[in-house]
Amino acid sequence: MAIAAQETDDATNKPRFCLPDLFQDHGVEKIYHLQPGPLETDCKSLIYICRPQINYMKYIAEHIHTHTKDSRSGPYTYSLFFVPRRTALCEKVLEDEGVFGEITKGEYHLDLIPLEDDLLSLEWDSTFKELYLDQDTTSIYYAAKALMRLQGIYGWFPRILGKGDYSKALCDMMLRMRREMAVDDLDASQTTQMSQTIDSLIIIDRSVDMVTPLCTQLTYEGLIDEIFHIKNSFVEVDAALAGAAPAPSGSGTASSGSSAAKKKKVPLNGGDKLFGELRDLNFAVVGGLLNKVAKRINADYEERHNAKTVPQIRQFIGKMGTLAAEHQSLRLHTSLAEQIMEYTRSDDFNRILEVQQNVVAGIATSKEPEYIEEMINKQVPLVQVLRLLCLYSLVNNGVKPKQFEFFKKEILEAYGFEHIQTLENLRRLGLLTKQVTTKNPYSLVRRSLSLIVDEVNEHAPNDISYVYSGYAPLSVRLVQCVVQRGKNQPGGGGVKGQGLAGGNGWKGFEDVLRMLPGRTFDEKQRVDDGQPMSTKSKLDRIMNNDVLKNEHRSNGQPRISLVFFLGGCTFTEVSATRFLASQEGGQRDFVICTTQILNGNTLMESLVQKVPDLHATS
Amino acid sequence: LLLMESFQLKDNIERVNKIKASLRLYQDDKEHTFEAKAVEESIKLLQTQVQLEKDYAQPFTGLSISSTVYKLITINQSNRATKVRGDFKMPDKRFWWIKLRALVEIRDWDGVATL
Repeated sequence: MAIAAQETDDATNKPRFCLPDLFQDHGVEKIYHLQPGPLETDCKSLIYICRPQINYMKYIAEHIHTHTKDSRSGPYTYSLFFVPRRTALCEKVLEDEGVFGEITKGEYHLDLIPLEDDLLSLEWDSTFKELYLDQDTTSIYYAAKALMRLQGIYGWFPRILGKGDYSKALCDMMLRMRREMAVDDLDASQTTQMSQTIDSLIIIDRSVDMVTPLCTQLTYEGLIDEIFHIKNSFVEVDAALAGAAPAPSGSGTASSGSSAAKKKKVPLNGGDKLFGELRDLNFAVVGGLLNKVAKRINADYEERHNAKTVPQIRQFIGKMGTLAAEHQSLRLHTSLAEQIMEYTRSDDFNRILEVQQNVVAGIATSKEPEYIEEMINKQVPLVQVLRLLCLYSLVNNGVKPKQFEFFKKEILEAYGFEHIQTLENLRRLGLLTKQVTTKNPYSLVRRSLSLIVDEVNEHAPNDISYVYSGYAPLSVRLVQCVVQRGKNQPGGGGVKGQGLAGGNGWKGFEDVLRMLPGRTFDEKQRVDDGQPMSTKSKLDRIMNNDVLKNEHRSNGQPRISLVFFLGGCTFTEVSATRFLASQEGGQRDFVICTTQILNGNTLMESLVQKVPDLHATS
Repeated sequence: LLLMESFQLKDNIERVNKIKASLRLYQDDKEHTFEAKAVEESIKLLQTQVQLEKDYAQPFTGLSISSTVYKLITINQSNRATKVRGDFKMPDKRFWWIKLRALVEIRDWDGVATL
């Protein structure tokens, strides 16, 4: 009999873990959340499943210490599983705590967690900060491992494209792992075939496109994330809002029952049909759709009056179940939408949005800095101020020196001097910089990739820009460049459905790509590569390469492109990528991988210097 | 180099010393004149706050300049607030915003009317 003490406190609580049934099937008696303080339990066998983080090690050590002191409670056995792998650092902590020998240790290789049919995530929340600020490349290793595993299952990806220095590092690491595999175990590397279904992997580095996450997301799912913060595909809302009855797919909610009574966790995923329909839409149209669905459900209910004969009634009863579920989810989404509506109607929201739109569109007025100043004066949360300020700085390639000093001073005085460090973090990441030249790469990129689309039809979108009501996320636009080849470019062929393995890759976009930070690369993998030819990322050389014939013609099946967002992506980008797939008319599907889901707020929060509250104890 | 100031914890006197140490580091470096000035300000603020804590027996340290002024107004110490404002050369705009919010907070409608 065992107990699983699982860590949940900071967001690493994975959906898969939320299925208590699954644990129970394996004889798990109780599930505890890993937290500081002694663990009170009458079970003798404990299993810990957690991330290799030092504070978790400390908690576990504390549990063990209290147990050993308390002689009454007999011997315990401890097992500890690291997700996704053990680290020397954690083992050292356990050693120092003197509990190393008492624990059986193992690894649970849970790397890519499917959040959705087409969305995989490492759920490694701190990736962005670790990678770009601390320059800790552990997460690249995890990502490479995870992708290698995918390759092990689906075969080698014929082509790997990417943009950004860390993307390149990831790609190199994968190629190296493959060579290592060939040395270790020739058979295994030979037997793995080229992938039939996945014809390319596109890696986009977060640092390539920092503008997108800083904009306010305007899709339904994106807005939910902005306002309520979706955690591992669960969202916490007031219990009253979710309705008294259990939420749509009840299996997930049960596990959170122990957490606060007021808040209720509601799963948000494709299992909820209505949400599946709504999630990728621009919020402007959600209301109308909800109305339609409500009418339909109502009509379905009304049918009962028409049911006269017994079989008709039986048929209706049969439908009742699904109807009730639909009703339930409708209620949830209506109230969610209502709350969002309240938020989006507020003056502040609209002004921020207006400023944002002007900034990304490059319409320069003096109003934007003024508004940011006003925000500081009103003491709105720092995260919001920084988000807008960084956006402003990014788009204009820095803030004018005088303004730069002014804002820095204002922020420090209004929010405290500890933010010297915050500002330094932002500067190091290039998010908030002093303008040195007036040359502005962003405006060129914007023009050549037509990031701003003036006429947007939110009801029947024809371009990915609908997700931000006019701004097309740069990252997804890049993906589109590779896949659709110059659809929006003059003279671009836009040959749909052409095998990507033989496609032109970045060709035609060299100029644009040169203006974005980081290296561009395009590698091909072959079956017989004992030593995979690692074409150096010299673009011109690749251009001269013969077009590799797509040896494995997929037979009518949609080809899949794997899109990997290194450093996290937003829900809106996910939506936009899905939209790309829908444009391909069944020829191509996208599977999105990311290290974590983020939005502008979480992004900023990870960079803000925190000071312990001095008065908390006194 | 830059992480020094994150040690500014616990005891006020110790904090001031720590901050001063980091100040020296910043001053050594020509590129960080802004930071050096900011750190100087923060020492001044901390000293002011320690004084305020003595006078009003309420916690002040850890607050930013704006929140300090805000708090002073909410405990009906407008004059003191104005003084702090002068000490740190706070721009008018921000001061009036703070004052307005603070007065609304304590429902001092007369105060609002006389603004």
